[in-house]
Amino acid sequence: MNRVRERNESAWLLPAGPGINHRLRDDMRIFDDSDEVDVVIVGCGAGGSTMAQRLARAGWSVVAMDAGPFWDPEKDWVSDEAGSHHLYWTEPRVIGGADPVPLGSNNSGRGVGGSMIHYAGYAPRFHPSDFRIHSTDGVGADWPLEYNDLKPYYADIEEELPVAGDDWPWGDPHSYPQRPHPVSGNGDMFLRGALACGITAKVGPVAISNGRFGNRPHCIYRGFCLQGCKVNAKASPLITHIPDALAHGAEVRADSMVTRIEVDEHTGKATGVHYNRRGRQRFQQAKTVVVAGYSIETPRLLLNSTSTRFPEGLCNDFDLVGRYLMVQGAPQTAGRFDDEVRMFKAPPPEVSTEEFYETDPSKDYKRGFSIQTVSPLPITWAEHVAAQGHWGAGLRQYMSDYVHWSCLGALCEFLPLPENRVVLSSELDRHGLPVAQFNYSRCENDRALMKAAQSVMEEMLKAAGADEVITINRYAHLVGGARMGADEHSGVVDGDCRSFAVPNLYITDGSVLPTEGSANPALTIMAIAARVADRMSTGNHATQGGRS
Amino acid sequence: MSSLPLDPSAGGGRFPGFDVMGQEKHWDEVTSAVVVSRLGMPPDIRFFNAAEEATATALCDQLLDQREPPRVPVVNMVDARLAEDQTDGWHYEGMAPDGQSWRDSLSALDEDAMAHSGCAFAEAAWETQTAILQAVQDLGSEDWHGIPASRVWSLWTRYACTAFYSHPWAWEEIGFAGPAYPRGYKNIGVNKLEPFEVADAHPAQDPLRKGTS
Ligand SMILES: Cc1cc2nc3c(=O)[nH]c(=O)nc-3n(C[C@H](O)[C@H](O)[C@H](O)COP(=O)(O)OP(=O)(O)OC[C@H]3O[C@@H](n4cnc5c(N)ncnc54)[C@H](O)[C@@H]3O)c2cc1C
Ligand code: SF4
Repeated sequence: MNRVRERNESAWLLPAGPGINHRLRDDMRIFDDSDEVDVVIVGCGAGGSTMAQRLARAGWSVVAMDAGPFWDPEKDWVSDEAGSHHLYWTEPRVIGGADPVPLGSNNSGRGVGGSMIHYAGYAPRFHPSDFRIHSTDGVGADWPLEYNDLKPYYADIEEELPVAGDDWPWGDPHSYPQRPHPVSGNGDMFLRGALACGITAKVGPVAISNGRFGNRPHCIYRGFCLQGCKVNAKASPLITHIPDALAHGAEVRADSMVTRIEVDEHTGKATGVHYNRRGRQRFQQAKTVVVAGYSIETPRLLLNSTSTRFPEGLCNDFDLVGRYLMVQGAPQTAGRFDDEVRMFKAPPPEVSTEEFYETDPSKDYKRGFSIQTVSPLPITWAEHVAAQGHWGAGLRQYMSDYVHWSCLGALCEFLPLPENRVVLSSELDRHGLPVAQFNYSRCENDRALMKAAQSVMEEMLKAAGADEVITINRYAHLVGGARMGADEHSGVVDGDCRSFAVPNLYITDGSVLPTEGSANPALTIMAIAARVADRMSTGNHATQGGRS
Repeated sequence: MSSLPLDPSAGGGRFPGFDVMGQEKHWDEVTSAVVVSRLGMPPDIRFFNAAEEATATALCDQLLDQREPPRVPVVNMVDARLAEDQTDGWHYEGMAPDGQSWRDSLSALDEDAMAHSGCAFAEAAWETQTAILQAVQDLGSEDWHGIPASRVWSLWTRYACTAFYSHPWAWEEIGFAGPAYPRGYKNIGVNKLEPFEVADAHPAQDPLRKGTS
């Protein structure tokens, strides 16, 4: 047996070729609401599924709930853009602030696998500098962790997904378990442009299997990664962590929307979660509660969990819940070539550069951005074109030119600001719960980064031979909202993701990130969760709930 | 074969003989069912009332320049999503959820048409409708009937483009082959085509380059 398989057998538990292991689901262990399980996990996305797999392996009794379905990719997903709408979290939400951030398709998922079902698949690490930008750059916040605390977990998760890419020269230089994929027209244009501009570019890093991995097949370069990978080539927790969790006795309880976390007023400890399943309100008892519902739903759940002890919401004694929520500035610049690029052929994530990631002392802004290929399918491309002001005949004509366009995207590190936050709206959802309102406004540094990133992308595309370039401004990747900090005045949870206010309550999703870097977040979220689970289960950390 | 009328000078006829549905035998069943349903009878109008249906039809025809049949049934597809509340969930603070915003904006269009030419939007001449819409777009982030015009504009174009560019006829117009599972692509790279793909017959027809549009 190889090392990954000893640690996480998921890829070998799947059937050969596409599909899921129905037997594993049919035989799944089922707990009673009255069983006081060792841990109940809220949300089966990047952070939640990793916890479930690690803790189940360590022998904990685990119930992992998700508000959405337990997907069967063969039956539930389609190789079609408009037909994939059900993958997104589309419960009502309100957006405000000076730069409101549209949610839905572009930002969050639902169901077992979470947002990684329809994420692109980039899996870069954060840089060591990300963990102390307050000390070095005087902006944002320092983490209560260092890069080296996460490093072994990065390497583990990279093997488990697995990640394919060139040897990585940036941040802490490292290599990947799989060789880089061949590049398509869009990746080729990126490489040509970078070469001509003297910018180092690398293929990867993508969590898409280049070759057979366990029983998972090779990518077939069909380009529908953002619609869910029916092939099982692209990693998501549904296939990378959930099968192993089930095999180790975890229960995955889908279609279960957690509405409130219960805390015992006398002991001050969490006792379990209230949830709604198929219209019925239920309560699952647990010794430990782990929340991993994404940067909007996690703060919302805490804010909705009020009690005499926590009148302003759970863990919100210092008005930090929901605050310092970040998005990455994600402008997309497209270039027009007489050649046919056909960017829809191949996975959108292919090539990236982190050359502009770090603070450049010669610039009047702090921190930086990364640039990657993005390859919008027709509907998303039409939005891109419509954003230029084209409509009617102009739009149709522009769209007829689709095969000639190449598209790059930047990820700009926006700074954590206290007013960028989730609050409760007066609007109620169908469970009668206040919905989340997400307010967002950029600061000067954020705007400067977006401009700088756009001009580099324009330069690259022109150097590759594009005669025209167009840019659309957008945002991606929400993180923060329940950040980790050195103490309860600076964070909701500590460096081990345990809440300061409730000793047996943990948060292990993207909400805990104090800063966002210019890297896509999923790998970091999984690495943090793997570390927390390690510390909880090996007793490195005195858990106050946990295993009996 | 593309059945949508589009003049070559406006981007039509770029992929002669390209046949998206001819590849259906290579798609998985679940995806086929979803795509084929778009070619069948359009869903009945359930969300819009008759007046709204008329205005929405004229609006969608304008947004995608569908002047004559056959058309992609954009308005039925938009109506179906609103009837099923298949929205993206979010809405702007101070703006109603999508369904109500559609109703409000359609009646605002009728008000504009009434003020402009004394009739409902759908009854106005094509050029008048175009001018009314252009005036809305030109407002940018300024208010139009109490809502930032750009937000209303984005609501309309989001729904209309999603409907139109989910249709195989529209894919044929832009050279996109649609579903690609389980077959995938074998020839990736600049200027590389699969045997069933068709090269652009007018590669220099760049809509941005002066003199070509
Ligand atoms: C279009 C798109 C492209 C992306 N591309 C990339 C990329 O290339 N690389 C990358 O690293 N990241 C990417 N991301 C971001 C990445 O997917 C997320 O950052 C990551 O999945 C977040 O992990 P999480 O654990 O915080 O939440 P999620 O993975 O979203 O999981 C949260 C889960 O909790 C469930 N849930 C929420 N509330 C409740 C509740 N009250 N009760 C029960 N269940 C609940 C949800 O249904 C969901 O399944 C992309 C995202 C999108 C939308
Ligand atoms: S391109 Fe590859 S990874 Fe993406 S959806 Fe297709 S098979 Fe999966």
